[in-house]
Amino acid sequence: MRFRTTLSVSVAAASALALLTGCGAADMTKQASPFANAGGARSMTLSVQSWVGAQSNVAVAKYLLEHKMGYRVDTVQVDEIPAWDALSQGRVDALLEDWSHPDQEKRYVHDKKTVSYAGGLGVTGHIGWFVPTYFAKQHPDITNWKNLNKYASQFRTAESGGKGQIMDGSPAYVTHDKALVKNLKLNYQVVFAGSEAAQITQIKQFAKEKKPFLTYWYTPQWLFKKVPMTEVKLPPYKEGCDTDAAKITCAYPKTPLRKFLNADFARSGGKGAAFLKKFQWTTEDQNEVSLMIAEQKLSPEEAAKKWVDAHPDQWKRWLP
Amino acid sequence: MTLTVPTRKPPTSAEGSDAPVFAVDGLWKVFGPKPGRVPADPALAALSPAELRAETGCTAAVRDVSFEVRKGEVFVVMGLSGSGKSTLVRCLTRLIEPTAGTIAIDGEDVRAMDRGRLRELRRHRAAMVFQHFGLLPHRTVLDNVAYGLEIQGMGRAERREKAAEVVAKVGLAGMEKRRPGQLSGGQRQRVGLARALAVDPEVLLFDEPFSALDPLIRRDMQDEVARLHSEEGRTMVFITHDLTEALKLGDRIALMRDGRVVQLGTPEEIVNSPADDYVREFVRDVPREQVVTCRTAMRPASLEEAGSGPAVRPEAPVAEAIEAVARAGEPARVMDHGTCMGVVDSDALLNVVAGTGTAAPAEREAEPTLVSAAPRPKAV
Amino acid sequence: MATITAPAARRALPGLLKSRPAAKLLTLAVAAVILVPLLDSRWGSGHWPHALTVSLTGPLGDASDWVMNNRDSHPLFLYFFGHISNAVVLCVRGVYLALLAMGWVGVTALGALVAWRVAGVRLAAGTAVAFLACGALGMWLPTMQTLALMVAAVLASVAVGVLLGLAAGLSDRLDRALRPVLDTMQVLPAFAYLLPVVLVFGIGVPAAVLATVVYAAPPMARLTALGLRGADPEVLEAVRSLGATPRQRLLTARIPLARKELLLGLNQTIMMALSMAVIASVIGAGGLGDRVYQALASVDVGAALAAGIPIVLLAIVLDRVTGAAGRAADNTGESRRTVWLLALAGTAVAAVAARLLGRAEWPAGATLNIAEPVNHAVNWMTAHLYSGVPVIGGTADWAAHFTTWMLDPLRDGLRALPWWSVLLIVAALAWLIGTWRTALTATLAMAAIGVLGVWDSSLDTLSQVLAAVAVTLVLGIATGIAAARSDRVDRMLRPVLDVFQTMPQFVYLIPVVALFGVGRAPAVVAAVVYALPAVVRITAQGLRQVDPAALESARSLGATGRQQLWQVQLPLARRSLLLAVNQGVVLVLAVVIIGGLVGAGALGYDVAFGLAQGDLATGLVAGAAIVCLGLMLDRVTQPTGRAKKGA
Repeated sequence: MRFRTTLSVSVAAASALALLTGCGAADMTKQASPFANAGGARSMTLSVQSWVGAQSNVAVAKYLLEHKMGYRVDTVQVDEIPAWDALSQGRVDALLEDWSHPDQEKRYVHDKKTVSYAGGLGVTGHIGWFVPTYFAKQHPDITNWKNLNKYASQFRTAESGGKGQIMDGSPAYVTHDKALVKNLKLNYQVVFAGSEAAQITQIKQFAKEKKPFLTYWYTPQWLFKKVPMTEVKLPPYKEGCDTDAAKITCAYPKTPLRKFLNADFARSGGKGAAFLKKFQWTTEDQNEVSLMIAEQKLSPEEAAKKWVDAHPDQWKRWLP
Repeated sequence: MTLTVPTRKPPTSAEGSDAPVFAVDGLWKVFGPKPGRVPADPALAALSPAELRAETGCTAAVRDVSFEVRKGEVFVVMGLSGSGKSTLVRCLTRLIEPTAGTIAIDGEDVRAMDRGRLRELRRHRAAMVFQHFGLLPHRTVLDNVAYGLEIQGMGRAERREKAAEVVAKVGLAGMEKRRPGQLSGGQRQRVGLARALAVDPEVLLFDEPFSALDPLIRRDMQDEVARLHSEEGRTMVFITHDLTEALKLGDRIALMRDGRVVQLGTPEEIVNSPADDYVREFVRDVPREQVVTCRTAMRPASLEEAGSGPAVRPEAPVAEAIEAVARAGEPARVMDHGTCMGVVDSDALLNVVAGTGTAAPAEREAEPTLVSAAPRPKAV
Repeated sequence: MATITAPAARRALPGLLKSRPAAKLLTLAVAAVILVPLLDSRWGSGHWPHALTVSLTGPLGDASDWVMNNRDSHPLFLYFFGHISNAVVLCVRGVYLALLAMGWVGVTALGALVAWRVAGVRLAAGTAVAFLACGALGMWLPTMQTLALMVAAVLASVAVGVLLGLAAGLSDRLDRALRPVLDTMQVLPAFAYLLPVVLVFGIGVPAAVLATVVYAAPPMARLTALGLRGADPEVLEAVRSLGATPRQRLLTARIPLARKELLLGLNQTIMMALSMAVIASVIGAGGLGDRVYQALASVDVGAALAAGIPIVLLAIVLDRVTGAAGRAADNTGESRRTVWLLALAGTAVAAVAARLLGRAEWPAGATLNIAEPVNHAVNWMTAHLYSGVPVIGGTADWAAHFTTWMLDPLRDGLRALPWWSVLLIVAALAWLIGTWRTALTATLAMAAIGVLGVWDSSLDTLSQVLAAVAVTLVLGIATGIAAARSDRVDRMLRPVLDVFQTMPQFVYLIPVVALFGVGRAPAVVAAVVYALPAVVRITAQGLRQVDPAALESARSLGATGRQQLWQVQLPLARRSLLLAVNQGVVLVLAVVIIGGLVGAGALGYDVAFGLAQGDLATGLVAGAAIVCLGLMLDRVTQPTGRAKKGA
């Protein structure tokens, strides 16, 4: 009899759920964020990636959409690959800086057609290995990967043990460093900082003491303005040399960064979608905003406002 | 401690003691694995508790108990802890399911009742008062008292009105809005009593209701129960481990030990003619002059004795006669409606007080209903 | 009589105690002597043998692909998960719109009025101040988003928890089945819950809410069951004796009698939901957690703090208000309903008035920028403490020493142990402290880690946990003793502990990196900081609860303060100390995992990697290994008979 009570309660709960949601099919890939459109205004959700460059894109886009076009914009921090998924589901409407994910592109853009390409960002990205310029000046031959082993002892830290340390960043980033270290027979240990924040903090600490360090890094990046770094040349990139990730022995390619929109949003997103498609700027522009955010500690909104006030010609072209 | 025995109504033979409220026969409650085999097998049934446990892993809390509770009487079940008395009272309304035997209420077989009928029994015919009160801490006094009525499905206004009456009856008027946590122990038990009374049951079952209270309050509550009984004449089954309480309240007492009823009789019988050494040890310190009546202590009067001397009632305790005899310096006459039934002299009274030889009782007010299983009282 | 038998019993007891652990160890030793040569000859004695691992990469990858491809077409998703997801979105949105409609005035008024009714004037004022502070920090909207998410998650957690609790409270069989599951779920790091939910629901609010529900429902279920089972049996018997039906018994007696436990359950559920709401920002929860997460990406401790403070304030307010509701369970008057209606009316009036005055949204100018000064302070700290401090060395040097002298030897030592000896140690520890059942669970959990093929990274994580627990216990028990012995210290510590316990773990990851560099050391430090409050609290509480009579008799014999501590208080508080160890281990594990975000590597990094790269195979395997590790650590430190979680 006790069991009957429990049962009736759970049946009641289940039917309440059914009533609440309405019967029939519910496609959760077509559900927007619950916070969207809350203000009554036209609204959209932009995905932000964890690095500051991506924050700058979104900050400026958001500022313009809100102040010049009357939108209400929500931002959600999502890493790139999950962002693709979220984009496909319509949880977010746009991904403004994609560093090339062929698998995702194939699945969502070509197969499912739930995501559509929205033009280039105008910025070209490049990943590489960097040492601080003050160190490269003392030891010019470091810029060739073949000499890395010679300096391994100088890059040693507590974490890397007996080997030199090459510091990697966020797990979200594209990296082949472990394979590279192995395949190029380098006496180095890859240490994952775990997040860009941690990596930047560590780089700045090293720089403050003028210590040598070797790090995975990428351009465009505002940190170069604060800590000048010089790239270590890896064996040159050739088309297709990175297809087998385990056997890689070449450098990272130069990647034109691209924008992607949710397919439905791209079709029926009106002026907001049109604006995002036209949004395009340069590495310098992005770094300008990034520096304001990361170094001067302006809020993204303030930084965006400063940039927008200073470059009216630039953004007027983006307005539909 | 002195006993103030309330003037006890003589067990009501007029209202038909032939129709018992509860009739219990051969009742068993065995805890443990496969309990049914113990009452069924005479060899097992005869074992002592320790042997039974060793042999079967079972404990017999109630063993082969039979008794009848007559309408209007206070039936006390007394025994030390572990004697099975609390289990017994729970078996009456099947709060604990008996293992074997029969229970009848007003002739209806309790063990054969289905769920609904049993609920009916608990709702309307027998209500229980518990040792630790069993009140709902989140409800007010009034709502606690009305709880039984609420369970029955009575409307809010009606049950509250009824509950308020009962609350007043047990002397808690003005405390209706309090919660159990704000009451003293005695007050809480009054709430428990009121809750049981509110459903107007045929029988009230008390499970050691006052043993958690301190002595003074306990006496108050005993008086309260005695008062209620004399006012309403409701049948009561009263469980206690306190002999004084049993003697004070009980019309008849069943004395339990190790699950068996070792003696069943009026307080006077138990004190005066203990069935065995256990009972005798038990009643040793009872102030006998407070329990034994003059009717029991008297001897036939000689002619001259019947003519003079102070008079006492036959149901008066011996203590009363002692006072009279001491004052007058001569034997006291036991007078019933103007006729002299006998006399009590100082020798007889001393015998009562000392507990030495009792003169063969001249007359018994009722033959004790002796349980077949219980050992017969030995002649002393 | 007692005086005669007591000495004999006392003499017999140590002998018994001594022999039982000895017997257990002996049994294990015998088993080891037989098994080890076998295992050794077959699979060798180094790391976990490859032959005994099962690679799940393929199947998990396939599963994740299948989900991705079928999420918008398969009936399971359309008719089941879809509706759940939909209901969550609707619910969160409903609450969010309601909060927005009330405006900041309405929300603040409502919060204060509820707090006033439940807990009195002081808490009402505190609540109002807390809400205003959220606004003043410029966090009004994120706060409302987090609140909306919390309301939905807490409602669902309570519903699920109460249902499970009812089941476990009413049926012995279900109780036996559910209890170990619920116990275990409560010791698992929140991070481990994220991936499976993301796999099904994708990034976003529904996944965040559901992960929160999975995390926050167990305490509700446990306490509901506890309350139902703990009801005074005589009251229940009395109710039965009055002829109540089972339904009447449940509704009028059992549930009201369990009210205290239910409210405590609500309290714990809210606290856990709040901490999860922050961690769930990793999977798109939005709100305050997202602000913290975003601020961290730009190494902006100040901004992270600005978003962290509202979380702490919310946590403290919710904790105190629900706690007060639990304590006040008994004294409620007749006029309750009218007062509640008045409170609601007051809220409505305030909200409408604010609306009419055009002040529904938080005034833009009225925000306080705390980010800058905080960042200044942090910069100063890192600039002056990082290294080169005379004599004691800088924090970076400490971190390096700690890594080289403590973490490395520990990790390498663990890895150098033959795999079967690790299992043996685990079994021995768990058996000594618990029963053969706990030993078996712990050993199987550890073996499962090996089978999953993450033996090495798990030992890495384990070494960090062990180091952090050691530091935590030394600091925590010392501080706890100080707090127990001096009321002043206790009073000073209380608010600090409150703040540290409710501050989202994310917030202190970055200053820790700034001070200790990237690597395992900062993860250990963050873990110590996070676990310390609970350990301090449990220790202090345990010491304070030591029977005053025992202390008094010790004093009367002329024991010094030190003697009292060592000979009376600490031995008598043994249970609390064991509980402190257990809690310390559980909390440390939770942060060491998150430490993957600051270079601690190992399992935490794998989970983060799985989330970031959508590589569910890596992430899920690491998540499962974390679950096993948590299970193992809990069982190895679990004193028999578990006490409630959270001090």
